[in-house]
Amino acid sequence: MLVFTRRRGEAIIIGGSIEIRVLRVGRDGVRLGVAAPASIPVHRQEVHAQISEANRAAVDPDAADPARRAAMEAALKALLP
Amino acid sequence: MNQPQARSSREVVTPMIPGELGSEREIVHFPGGLAGFENCRSFVLLSEEAAAFQCLSAVDGPPASFLVIDPRRVLPTYRYAVSRTDLERLRATSENGLLWLAIVLVEADGTIAANLRAPIVINPEAMVGVQIIPQDCVYPLRHVIVPAAGG
Repeated sequence: MLVFTRRRGEAIIIGGSIEIRVLRVGRDGVRLGVAAPASIPVHRQEVHAQISEANRAAVDPDAADPARRAAMEAALKALLP
Repeated sequence: MNQPQARSSREVVTPMIPGELGSEREIVHFPGGLAGFENCRSFVLLSEEAAAFQCLSAVDGPPASFLVIDPRRVLPTYRYAVSRTDLERLRATSENGLLWLAIVLVEADGTIAANLRAPIVINPEAMVGVQIIPQDCVYPLRHVIVPAAGG
């Protein structure tokens, strides 16, 4: 991990196109501004980790099998009154 | 209206917009991939006419297929504001006409649950998609659609 000390208003540039700027330093944390191209999603680390884990758990190699989806459709319909 | 076209005797693929089977128009581009699958940039959406469950499958990057369902079918009141950043990523000017998909998890005991917290949104006109990662977690990560049998 690269470590920098930045003051308010100063920034770091990654890959020539991603900029992270320190907007405010306060008791309750550091306010950061991030500018990145649309192809690079930017999220809070813990939220990204949570969604990544949920996505990984949901990967289903049989999802492309229409028979599988039909079975789930039947299970869903069985719930209707 | 979209017509299902048989690709094989078993699989029916409904193109999202009318077009030739196998043409580029079937591929949805995800500029940022999905969370944890950032290298999957091209997906196809497989569905049968009027079916609730569809399949979102990566055609590049590591193998990644997901069962998906429109979150509004799960929760009729489902309402999510799309940020301006995400609208730009989707190359959309408004939320009108966007397709919504929640990733579905089938658990070991047969429980079927949907991730309502981080939905996938697709702009069918531009054939671009994103997974929305919310600032505030309004909806559950695991919303049970079909409980386990006997449960």
